Amino acid sequence: MIKPDILGTFARSHVIRGGGEIAEHVREGRFQRSLALIAGLSSILSGLEASYEHYRGSYSRRVMYTPLIASAALLGAGVWAFKSRKAARTVLPVVSVLSLADGVIGFYFHVRGIQRKPGGWRLPIVNMIMGPPVFAPLLFGISAYLGIVAYYLRREDDPEEQTMPRPAHAHSWAKYLPGKIEHENISWRQDLREGRFQKHMAAATVVWSFFSGFEAWYSHYKNNFRYKMQWTPVVIAPMLMAAGVGAIKSRKVAHTWLPAVSALAIADGSLGFYYHARGVLRRPGGAKLALYNIIYGPPVFAPLLFAACGFVGLLASLLRRESR
Amino acid sequence: MKTPLFGAFGPPKPNQHTLGAMQHVDVRMRRYRTDEEVDYCIVGVGAAGGVLIQRLARAGFKVVGLEAGPFWDTERDWVSDEAGSHKLYWTEPRVIGGRDPLALGANNSGRGVGGGSVHWAAFTPRFHPSDFRVHSEDGVGVDWPMSYDELKPYYELLELEMPVAGPAYFPWGHPHGYAYGPHPMGGVGDILIKGCTKLGIRVSAGGPVAILSGSHGDRPHCIYRGFCIQGCKVGAKQSTLISHVPDAIKNGAEIRDNCMVARVNLGKNGRVTGVTYFDPDGRECEQRSKAVIVCGYAIETPRLLLNSACPGFEKGLANSSGTLGHYLMAQAGNVILGRFDELVRMYKAPPAHALTEEFYETDSRRDFARGFAIQTVGPLPISFAKQMMVAKGAWGWGMRKVMMDYNHWAALGLLGEILPWHDNRVELSEEKDKHGIPVAKVTFNLHDNDKKLIEYGKNKVMEVMWAAGAEDVVQEPRYAHLVGASRMGSDPSKSVVDKFGRTHDISNLFVCDGSILPTQGSANPGLTIQALAARTADYLISQGDDVFTSSSRSMERPPVRKNLSPPGTWGKGVPRLT
Amino acid sequence: MSNLKLASDLKAANSKLPIDPATGKPLAPKAQPGYYPGFSTLGQKDFWDDATRKLIIQRVEEVPPIRFFRPEEVDLLKAVCDRILPQDDRDGAHKIPIVNGIDQRLYDNRMDGYRYEKMPPDGEAHRLGLQAIEAIAHQMYGKPFVELGSLEQDTVLKTLHDGKPPAGQDVWARMPVNRYWMLLVQDVLEVYYAHPWAWDEIGFGGPAYPRAYIRLENGEPEPWEVDERRYAWKAPENSLSGKNELISGTSEHGATPGQGGTH
Repeated sequence: MIKPDILGTFARSHVIRGGGEIAEHVREGRFQRSLALIAGLSSILSGLEASYEHYRGSYSRRVMYTPLIASAALLGAGVWAFKSRKAARTVLPVVSVLSLADGVIGFYFHVRGIQRKPGGWRLPIVNMIMGPPVFAPLLFGISAYLGIVAYYLRREDDPEEQTMPRPAHAHSWAKYLPGKIEHENISWRQDLREGRFQKHMAAATVVWSFFSGFEAWYSHYKNNFRYKMQWTPVVIAPMLMAAGVGAIKSRKVAHTWLPAVSALAIADGSLGFYYHARGVLRRPGGAKLALYNIIYGPPVFAPLLFAACGFVGLLASLLRRESR
Repeated sequence: MKTPLFGAFGPPKPNQHTLGAMQHVDVRMRRYRTDEEVDYCIVGVGAAGGVLIQRLARAGFKVVGLEAGPFWDTERDWVSDEAGSHKLYWTEPRVIGGRDPLALGANNSGRGVGGGSVHWAAFTPRFHPSDFRVHSEDGVGVDWPMSYDELKPYYELLELEMPVAGPAYFPWGHPHGYAYGPHPMGGVGDILIKGCTKLGIRVSAGGPVAILSGSHGDRPHCIYRGFCIQGCKVGAKQSTLISHVPDAIKNGAEIRDNCMVARVNLGKNGRVTGVTYFDPDGRECEQRSKAVIVCGYAIETPRLLLNSACPGFEKGLANSSGTLGHYLMAQAGNVILGRFDELVRMYKAPPAHALTEEFYETDSRRDFARGFAIQTVGPLPISFAKQMMVAKGAWGWGMRKVMMDYNHWAALGLLGEILPWHDNRVELSEEKDKHGIPVAKVTFNLHDNDKKLIEYGKNKVMEVMWAAGAEDVVQEPRYAHLVGASRMGSDPSKSVVDKFGRTHDISNLFVCDGSILPTQGSANPGLTIQALAARTADYLISQGDDVFTSSSRSMERPPVRKNLSPPGTWGKGVPRLT
Repeated sequence: MSNLKLASDLKAANSKLPIDPATGKPLAPKAQPGYYPGFSTLGQKDFWDDATRKLIIQRVEEVPPIRFFRPEEVDLLKAVCDRILPQDDRDGAHKIPIVNGIDQRLYDNRMDGYRYEKMPPDGEAHRLGLQAIEAIAHQMYGKPFVELGSLEQDTVLKTLHDGKPPAGQDVWARMPVNRYWMLLVQDVLEVYYAHPWAWDEIGFGGPAYPRAYIRLENGEPEPWEVDERRYAWKAPENSLSGKNELISGTSEHGATPGQGGTH
């Protein structure tokens, strides 16, 4: 979720230390503060998107308010975690996990909502397009996912030499897991702490670019691909997925194709944001019916969610690979 | 995809009486013996009758509704087809006359449980506060015996029960917002918005319409198929058949369909004792009741009361004032059609989805009183062809050619207030229907103010159409809606019923439908009719047994009962402004 | 001789066909005239609900028998309908039967729910109207209507459209000309534009439940609809109905049929 200026904030906060140092921090998994902030700020996008999409559905069920609450909570948790190490290790993971769970619950309701439309899943295309967007709740899980990752990271100002894992805290939830899993658990947590989760992040890129690309495909299909540009996310998303899969298998791809395609996705998402905003203004009534046109025009923030997939890919390319 | 997954859609499951895609009534309807005296007999289970019977049943009264048409099974009886929906309209004989005869049938008259609400386009604007004071403010028509504030709580209630989708802020009349969000635009709505925006006219996009913009319990969201006035098989558009009748049946009401009421019977004590009706087999039956409520709409209500004339009421039952049948109103409903170079495809999306009430109120710069609204309409091919016949005089090759351009045309409707006039009336004709009951003769004349209003309004809509970029603009004069002919008022010598719908003459005979409206504004009357029904129900419930036993007439405002709404009304949608 | 006769028959048939304005030549009859070649609403019938599908298929496959009109009336009404809504541009297999539809309505006594006080019931109005049309044909050309050329037939009908019939005054004393004209045209329209072939011709989507639409704005076609492909055509030389002129008396507010509720 890289609204360009958020990236800017991210960059500016480190500008004194220089670009090389950012990369170093990322490599070493010492970017908890930044990632917490990004998770928080990006959840605003999800929240705004959900707020007007759910207004289209009239908030006819109370559960439709939960993503708004979750995104506001995640914003609060992200900002708090940016300021406080303690919050990053307590509030942030709890809120993130709840948000992710809300996304999964939302996914269930959306699948069910499509089933309840006339014709149900026997008319999959029509009812996905005219019913609740099936993958949107999972897409909104990106911020929550970033929040969870941030929880495991070290803070930017942590000493460099502290790379050895600490044993799991006695009060950690991991202690409830059976021994084997606990071990595994500690092992990947250690990798995360050390910034060794490139493959993991590449996999996340694959999953989210699928969701986002799929949403872009049917939304643009709904509009009969009136503009050639509407094909770009549909083309780039599989490229990004391919680069992600490649990056899981090959270090080389992770350092060449993945950042290149990710950058393309970010650029495309930003451009899409511009086109969508312009599309809203060009609708009948334009700015005079701003609220209505935001609701029923092209979804303004959706391209930024696509760009967010690119951001996750870019982040993946900067990380170190898992030790296993 | 050539077919839906798993092949063509099959017939609905057997033995299920469905009310929309997902709803079916799973309780047996209570049956009263014909010799059993019930509390209320309701004549006509339409927009008003449906709401009324639901509330009275929920409050515990024994209530029977008699409906001239069938109890619709939406899955089996209704079709997604223009010509095949003829049965939804009142097609029994009626005679029309006057200088400007009113077309009836499909235009404004429903038949079957749900009545007109089955085939309305479902625009649901409220009346403006000024509509209740037309005579005081503009010196025309007549004032209502109540104010806007008295009806407002019922507007709010019905907007949730239907529920109504619309903008968060509706700026005209008494400004308010809607709990359910607005609908997306179709091609016609876009054209109304474009034209209005260019002329600096404010416009309301996506409502207010009683069509679901989000699922509501078992009723799914609108699918934008454009067959609203052919009956909504989806169950997204409100009709009392979908929204209120199921709850009425669950609470012990009986609805006898295909029963045509012939007359209301008067007892020796000057009180009504019930009704005589023809059952589905054409047998004459009697239903005794402690009170009768006539909900037959603006033509059948006066027809029934006129046909119920008896010693003491030679001019018609409850017609000591002589006003029964008079002051019938329709709204000017000219359809303005514009051809656009680009495709519109106006058959998609509900016909009703955007409107402006910018010209609703009296404007001293114009040479007529009162005003009009501009609304989207979306005629399907047969209606459109008929409009072209009138608007262009098309026939033969000319008709074929203009019809090939169907997808290039858009239609906007004028909705103009026509004032109540004494000579616009419902009488009895010499002609009789299949039961031998004299049919209604409807006489209608436009008056000077009406003609000026139509001329101005029509030109204004044409202006909007041109501003939206049309290259050819034509219009078809016509009328929409029916109200009046059994008007309410506080003066028994000038009106038929009081402000609660009780006839001035007979204390246990009520009228509750569009016919009691003294004036009509330029808002579609559906919401107001249902809101008035809810209010009358509250009044009847607060009066309790007094209605059945006493001839005293309380004029006290009843408390608003929110616990009588159908289940699932509350806790949905967004908090409303005002 | 027989060749000559054939040629003149061909010419007479051609003169009823619409014309390509670019070449001035008649356009050959098609299975599906209109600007949406290849579009088929019936091809979507699996997506319709059961009740609707049965009704529409019945409409196409089971042409109702003639039960109301008498045989001589049928021939005359058929000739009239052929001019009220000509189908000469449709090939023989794809002409929409109109008279049968009108006959069925009148036989079933399916009324609109009102009758103008100055009009007889619809069935009687149709019978009277046909008598008057025949009388006008005799008055103007001394021949039965069915034996007239298409231009002459149009000329007869146009007198009704214009509200100035030169004969049949006994009929017009019993019903206003313009009301009869509108009744007749409406009844023809109601049958023709209820047919799926007519929907294909004009690009109307047809029944839409449970599957409805995804593209509501900008006139975009659904995935199963087709793009418009216009071609130029004009009415045949031997016709009068190509130009649209208002029906006499319809500028009055009350002259409208106002059918098909819209709001």
